[in-house]
Amino acid sequence: MASHTGRLYTLALGLVVFFLAWAVVAAHPWGATVSDPRLKQLAAREAQLRRQARLVNRIVALRWAAYRSALKARQAQIVAAKAQASQLAAVSSVSAPSGGVRVVTLPPLTITRTS
Amino acid sequence: MIERRTFRAMGTEMELLVDADGAAEALDSAFDGAEAEFHRLEALLSRFREDSELSRLNRDGAIDAGPDLLRVVALALDARERTRGRFDPTVHDALVAAGYDRSFEDIAPESHVRCQAPDVSAGGVSIEGTRIVLEPGVRLDLGGIGKGYAAERAAELLALAGPCLVNAGGDVATRGGAWPVGVETTGDPLTLELRGAALATSGRDRRRWRRGGRELHHLIDPRTGAPAETDLLRVTVVAPDAVEAEVAAKALFLAGAGAARAEADEAGIPAVLVTERETALAGGLA
Repeated sequence: MASHTGRLYTLALGLVVFFLAWAVVAAHPWGATVSDPRLKQLAAREAQLRRQARLVNRIVALRWAAYRSALKARQAQIVAAKAQASQLAAVSSVSAPSGGVRVVTLPPLTITRTS
Repeated sequence: MIERRTFRAMGTEMELLVDADGAAEALDSAFDGAEAEFHRLEALLSRFREDSELSRLNRDGAIDAGPDLLRVVALALDARERTRGRFDPTVHDALVAAGYDRSFEDIAPESHVRCQAPDVSAGGVSIEGTRIVLEPGVRLDLGGIGKGYAAERAAELLALAGPCLVNAGGDVATRGGAWPVGVETTGDPLTLELRGAALATSGRDRRRWRRGGRELHHLIDPRTGAPAETDLLRVTVVAPDAVEAEVAAKALFLAGAGAARAEADEAGIPAVLVTERETALAGGLA
């Protein structure tokens, strides 16, 4: 009796295992991503975007470097111009303490006419 | 060693002088920069160029303006306030009515067409942020003050090559050094030495033409809307910068010889006042 019941359980368990294995094989999840054309397109698009992003990042990095270099040069120019301007201002303020104009008998370098 | 460059811009002869002791390349670069600045500002501020920012403002009545036009209009409005209307940038239509409706080189020297001065009143101009708004019927002329502004901007660029002088057809700006500048008078030649100062001359002896038998000139009296009637032939004023000098010269010119002399003396504005008969120094010049 006990052996008969044991065989029935074994048979039921075997059937369950068989159908489970069938379902898993029928679903073949290992091939789904490869065979669906939409998924293939998405994967290709993702790869393309990654390539483009790498390219854009490289271009941005190059431009940023060029900008920083130009900025540095421009800042140096501004510092030099300011130094020169303050030097000129210092010369002017030292040599023209009295309002900046006087009548002289020198020959003029230029002439002012009605504008 | 004084280096010189001359060229035409803004309807007049421009002259750049530099007391240069540096490299020729730096000097050329400074000359080029200053010259380009005049052409750049002319393209923005000329009322004779259809595509200038000023023409667009005059046509449309309101625009979002660039920094240069904003600055010059603000300076002009400030000058109108300070001179109690003797300097006024809204005389555009009066100038056109008088016949100055195109670049001066293209104006017929004589015509039988009579000119009618328009009704004038200080036109409404407002600046809100970067937007300039004109009241209906108001148009601006920034000829004189624009030239003074351009002379100052060009001098800033030219100063990179050394002490310099910029003569924008009579509006003179300097940076560093001492600069003897000749002033036309009715008598002996007069030379003023500028040190860190600017100078401008306004008068009716040039930019003249005839309409309907009447002699006209380009200096409009905003009170009448017609070319100013004054006993002065021309006025030269020394000031800290060329814009200030231009405004003061125009204001003194409209005042007439007697009032101009009193005003210049009282305010301490160095000025040379020239009439048909005599030349007077005022404002501490001697």
